[in-house]
Amino acid sequence: MDLLERAPIELKSWFLSLLGSFGVPQWILSVLSALLIIGTVIGVFLGLFALMSVMERKILARAQNRYGPNRVGFFRWRLFGLFQPVADGIKMITKEDLVPRTADKAVHFLAPVAMMIPALMVLAILPYGRDMVPAELDAGLLYFFAVGAGTEVAVFMAGWASNNKYSVLGAMRAIAQMISYEIPLVIAAIIAAMISGSLSPSAIVAAQGGFTWGFVPQWFVFTPWGFAACLVFYIGALAESNRSPFDLPEGESELVAGHLTEYSGFKYATFFMAEYVGMFAVCGMLVTLFLGGWQAPLPLLTIIPSWCWFLGKVCFVAFTMVWVRATLPRLRIDHLLAFAWKFLLPMSFAAFLAAACWHYAGRGPLAWFLSLAIVAVPYLILGTAFSNRFALSRRLYQFSE
Amino acid sequence: MICDFLKTCCADPLKLLGEWFVLLPAMVLLLSAAAAAVMRNLIRAALCLTLSFIALGIVFITLGAEFVGFVQLLVYVGAVAMVIVFAILLTRPDQLAKSGSAFSGLGPAGGAAAGFVALAVLLGFIFASPLAKKPLSAPVSAPVAAIGEALMGDYVVALIAVGILLTAALVGASVLALEDKQP
Amino acid sequence: MNFPGSGILKGLAVTARNFAGSYFEKDRLITEQYPEERPKLPENARSFPFLVYDGGDPEAGMRCVSCKICEKECPPQCIYIVQDRDAAGKALKRPKIFDIDISVCMSCQICVEVCPFESIRMDADYELSSFERFGSLVLDKARLLKSNSYYRSIHPTEAAETDARLEADRKKKEAAAAAKAAKAAQTPEAAK
Repeated sequence: MDLLERAPIELKSWFLSLLGSFGVPQWILSVLSALLIIGTVIGVFLGLFALMSVMERKILARAQNRYGPNRVGFFRWRLFGLFQPVADGIKMITKEDLVPRTADKAVHFLAPVAMMIPALMVLAILPYGRDMVPAELDAGLLYFFAVGAGTEVAVFMAGWASNNKYSVLGAMRAIAQMISYEIPLVIAAIIAAMISGSLSPSAIVAAQGGFTWGFVPQWFVFTPWGFAACLVFYIGALAESNRSPFDLPEGESELVAGHLTEYSGFKYATFFMAEYVGMFAVCGMLVTLFLGGWQAPLPLLTIIPSWCWFLGKVCFVAFTMVWVRATLPRLRIDHLLAFAWKFLLPMSFAAFLAAACWHYAGRGPLAWFLSLAIVAVPYLILGTAFSNRFALSRRLYQFSE
Repeated sequence: MICDFLKTCCADPLKLLGEWFVLLPAMVLLLSAAAAAVMRNLIRAALCLTLSFIALGIVFITLGAEFVGFVQLLVYVGAVAMVIVFAILLTRPDQLAKSGSAFSGLGPAGGAAAGFVALAVLLGFIFASPLAKKPLSAPVSAPVAAIGEALMGDYVVALIAVGILLTAALVGASVLALEDKQP
Repeated sequence: MNFPGSGILKGLAVTARNFAGSYFEKDRLITEQYPEERPKLPENARSFPFLVYDGGDPEAGMRCVSCKICEKECPPQCIYIVQDRDAAGKALKRPKIFDIDISVCMSCQICVEVCPFESIRMDADYELSSFERFGSLVLDKARLLKSNSYYRSIHPTEAAETDARLEADRKKKEAAAAAKAAKAAQTPEAAK
């Protein structure tokens, strides 16, 4: 239905023309147009964050054979506990804001702000629907990773400003993890950009259009190299958002809360919000790069509007992230870093090579077979080469006489 | 000339905003760089330096060189600033709060003189370059595809040389980080 | 088939089965949602003592005769009894004041074991929280008196035993009184 598809854009232009007919000058209208888009995007993502915070707890609970939060409702109606974020928000706002006496006050105050800003800015280049990109950038993918690099500075600021050895240690581990996993992440993204021939997310989505044999979508995830790249990007995304199984920097049984130890109340809520919004942003990027963006999987399903498909796919990827969190235990820091450098990085290179071979071998059946081989062989070799590494062996005492 | 400028700005306020979009990051860049050079607390100086990197990236973007601006943010803020911070943290843990005298050896007058000499040399080179002779009539757009083709076509030797250099640096870092296995 | 990553896939399958099963299989979710579903306590569950009364009127049917044995035997000394006196000052076989401080009581059940008149028993009610520390945590006689039918509902077996014992005692007393009355009725006739 074209009306539903175009509904957000038509609504905005109707509202602006209404204001224009009241004599509002043009420059105010253009500023208002930008503000409406920004407000909608931020509003949707903050609403998703609120919903996610309660749905994650409920999904984790169901996977552990218990109910999640199911009490907080609206006056008398329990509403399956979906008003829990309201209760959490009130709690966070009314908590006492403790700042250590010897902490660096300016940096301690600015760290949550510095964390939130890149998380929100990154939402500007995702294509939410057909012709619905807030900022149409030629180098959108590069913008995504450039702005995402600001998160690392914020983590360091949070850790160091708390004047707490455990915070600094947690911050250094968090930064080491983020830097290590950023390389496979970027290489996996580059694979999609390489095959599409452009760094612009809209062009990458458009390159995944069309259906082979009439009903199979040409999304990158359905090719061998695309599947491998999608998995590498997914694991890198889990690590960049500090989510289980890579949540060592902020696991409660580890260094208390790592770089977030000395934060309470609204500042902690800001960090929490930045982490979840960042998680949704990187899910959105995964959907754009490998899952076909706003496109429907079958030709007859294009009745459902494109922005619904995008939202649905992002929610599905977020659900799988919660599913993985319910399943896997936390990785130790040396295991985590070894996994990034010794497994993910070579796998991302293998996927890169496979994608290039697929393209230059003509994209025919031979190309598919070749790319499958180039991805599967390193996977099997790397997967088995390290499986005996951590077997218990006789302890060697180096300095005993 | 200033009156004409102000008149056009009042007629079209977005143009005034546009001018400030270019000037503001430049001012932030100069101020934060100066602060980074003068501050006593090393970590705060490193953070001001990071702010100056961000401001420089924004200056590139407002001048139309988006690709270079994003790469500046990605490389300098994401990697170089982290290296600086780690280097400070891992080598001088006992002197973080006070780093001693901000000026050393030359004294204020000598430092200012050295600064002015450096500025004069840089300005001389800038004004002697061909770009300063005739200003551009229209803004040049450099689509990413054109940059990519130039890198892989005309400048491919430089690209591969930089790649070899980076690989050598990585291998050297790994060798340094390897544990000593001798008993 | 053990390819690298198969363990993770098996784990994901287990979690997915748990997640889907929690909606369709009734006995997966064993959480008792507290205020709506109360836990089923075993029959011997006990919290704090209460006074049993027979019949409808609490003051008239009270079994306690103010013998003060439970007050003496209570280890933390949480029971406070004052015997009732009539208008002339003669002691009556009922307590005027009977207080139990449940913030001190340790639910040891010794008062129940030593009571000769089966009048103090253990309650199973645990929802006794209050907003003040001292006033409402001292239960007075009015709050302690609960009927025998209530006792039968919370501890059926014990109540049945107690009732049987009391019934047997009452029958023995009646039989003894009847025998004495019969003997008393006989002797004047024999003396005549």
